[in-house]
Amino acid sequence: MINLPASPNETARTIVEFCRFAREKGLSFGVQGTLGALEAAAVLGVDGQDLKFGLRSVLCSSKDDWDLFEECFQTFWGGSEAVRLLDRKMRPRKEGPFGVVRRDLTSLMSTASSDDVSSEKDGALAVTGASARERLAKVDVSTLPQNDMAMLDQIALRLFKQMSRRLQRRRRIGTSRGQVDLRRTIRRSISRGGEPINLRYREKKLRPHRLVTLLDISGSMSPYSLFLVKFLYALQKHFQRADTFLFSTNLVEITALMRAQRLPQAMQALSQQPAGWSGGTNIGGSLREFNQHYRRKLRSSDTVFVILSDGWDTGEPGALAAELGDVKRSVRKLIWLNPLLGLKDYQPITTGMSAALPHIDVFAPAHNLESLLALEKHL
Amino acid sequence: MATSRIPASDAAGEGVDAIVSGFERLGYIADRSLATALYLVTKLRKPILVEGHAGLGKTEVAKVLAVFLGAPLIRLQCYEGLDVSSAVYEWNYQKQLLAIKIEEGSDKTVEEKEKHIFSREFLLERPLLQSVLVEDASPVLLIDEIDRADEAFEAFLLELLSDFQITIPEMGTIHAKHVPYVVLTSNRSRDLGDALKRRCLYQWIDYPNPGKEMKIVRTRLPGIEEELARQVVEYVQSARGLNLSKPPGVAETLDCAEALLTLGKLRLDEEAMEQTLGCISKSVEDSAKVKAAWSRPTQ
Repeated sequence: MINLPASPNETARTIVEFCRFAREKGLSFGVQGTLGALEAAAVLGVDGQDLKFGLRSVLCSSKDDWDLFEECFQTFWGGSEAVRLLDRKMRPRKEGPFGVVRRDLTSLMSTASSDDVSSEKDGALAVTGASARERLAKVDVSTLPQNDMAMLDQIALRLFKQMSRRLQRRRRIGTSRGQVDLRRTIRRSISRGGEPINLRYREKKLRPHRLVTLLDISGSMSPYSLFLVKFLYALQKHFQRADTFLFSTNLVEITALMRAQRLPQAMQALSQQPAGWSGGTNIGGSLREFNQHYRRKLRSSDTVFVILSDGWDTGEPGALAAELGDVKRSVRKLIWLNPLLGLKDYQPITTGMSAALPHIDVFAPAHNLESLLALEKHL
Repeated sequence: MATSRIPASDAAGEGVDAIVSGFERLGYIADRSLATALYLVTKLRKPILVEGHAGLGKTEVAKVLAVFLGAPLIRLQCYEGLDVSSAVYEWNYQKQLLAIKIEEGSDKTVEEKEKHIFSREFLLERPLLQSVLVEDASPVLLIDEIDRADEAFEAFLLELLSDFQITIPEMGTIHAKHVPYVVLTSNRSRDLGDALKRRCLYQWIDYPNPGKEMKIVRTRLPGIEEELARQVVEYVQSARGLNLSKPPGVAETLDCAEALLTLGKLRLDEEAMEQTLGCISKSVEDSAKVKAAWSRPTQ
């Protein structure tokens, strides 16, 4: 099935070419990989199938690679039809799978870029004063006029940073004396004839929790979602293990995107995501997607699982409760932050919310800065 | 260097064939893809990372490879919190304390005493150190469920896999006499570091197709009737399509078939299915799904 030229040099060239081709198509390997491929070819010879299997095990390093390799291989050594197939697969999706119309967010994102500008002239912040800061912290984000928003961003970012710093310090102080470290104790005792006079201890190394956050970005959440995205950005910057998702009718992972970039760029990139901004809500469905694709990877006993949503769900409440119960069984803590909880006369009686309540450990508001910062004591 | 000597493929093809048939003799049905990867392990001396769902024989690969090569198998089971003292080495403290007491009256200097109690006599060898110390031939080192260990251990492992040497501060550096064949397995409960993945050959083990699974059942349970085996395989294969929280692997197929044999069943009927349900599904929800699928008219 592979028509490789007879001479060794030609073979090598073809394999190098294939490696380049595969890398272009999205397989991630370096020069080491190419060298490995050549070595494998040298060992296996050019007999079609074995070489294919060999190259595959050298060049792949995950299940995704494994699947992609098949296509690359077919395309490179197969017919032209395969080329078209692959191209279609590689093209980014324009629309969410459920046909949700994506609203252009660039106008909404304007607050993100103002962030950048004002951070350069830090003097402006000093004028704000303590009382203004206090007032802003209590204001419901959705009622805030656009020009106050920039200021709020500033304060928020600083407070968020402070909060995560406090989180880290608390962890260190919290450690206590653990087991006796026999190795060091004995080493020390040699000069005293083997009497372990000075005991050496080994401290328990505390590991920060893993944070998994799902943010609802459906229509009903739109007054809050931008602000909350910023909150998540600040939060995941300071958690070593934080995974962030957006959902409306389907689920989109944005961890890598948030990690790789500075806030304004990240916001810009987020607006390009086919996540169904301001669309409908299907919390149960999104959670099912999460349980199916990320369950093994992300759900462990040291995970704190945070959902930011108003609980307006168009899906079936039974499904939501079942999926949420499934999540609850395997995480350390399930926190639901609901912006509506900040409203005076709000009662969590929407079908979705009341179905979810029995599974939730912490149910808290998320409508202003103060409420978000209060999250600290739950993490 | 590799480019200059591309040999005829016969030897390699035979090598791969030998692994396929050798493994089959040992009761492991390996497809050509896996056999080729293992052939490369023996030739290129690279570690291999085997991934796949639970119960598909990932660990078995290393065990069978060890028997096939006639090499000793050294196994390290990873878990969260695995540290150097349980993976590499530990000093025998009780013995050290005794030795210090015994030598109390002697006129040895402190340095001499220290040298004595930190000699090999007092060293407890854990799997990774064992694999480096093997004297006569390359062992097979199985590092099971590497995804359960933490990143710090992974980094340590990376160092070991590149140099095959271990440094013990009190003794010095030990080099491997024979580079081990390394098999790592992972259930993908977390992503492994790029550096580690890059160093390894990769093999994904998928659920077998009915033909292969049939062959596995008949190889492992020679006493089973063809028809019963076929029924069990069909049943498990369809259960995998039910979107269960823990889809049954080949291990579950074998469990189920063996349970049926033990119960003296000749056919897989509804009663037999219910009696052996625990072999296939591991939660209440899954059991309900399997049962519901069974009673559906298409079954």
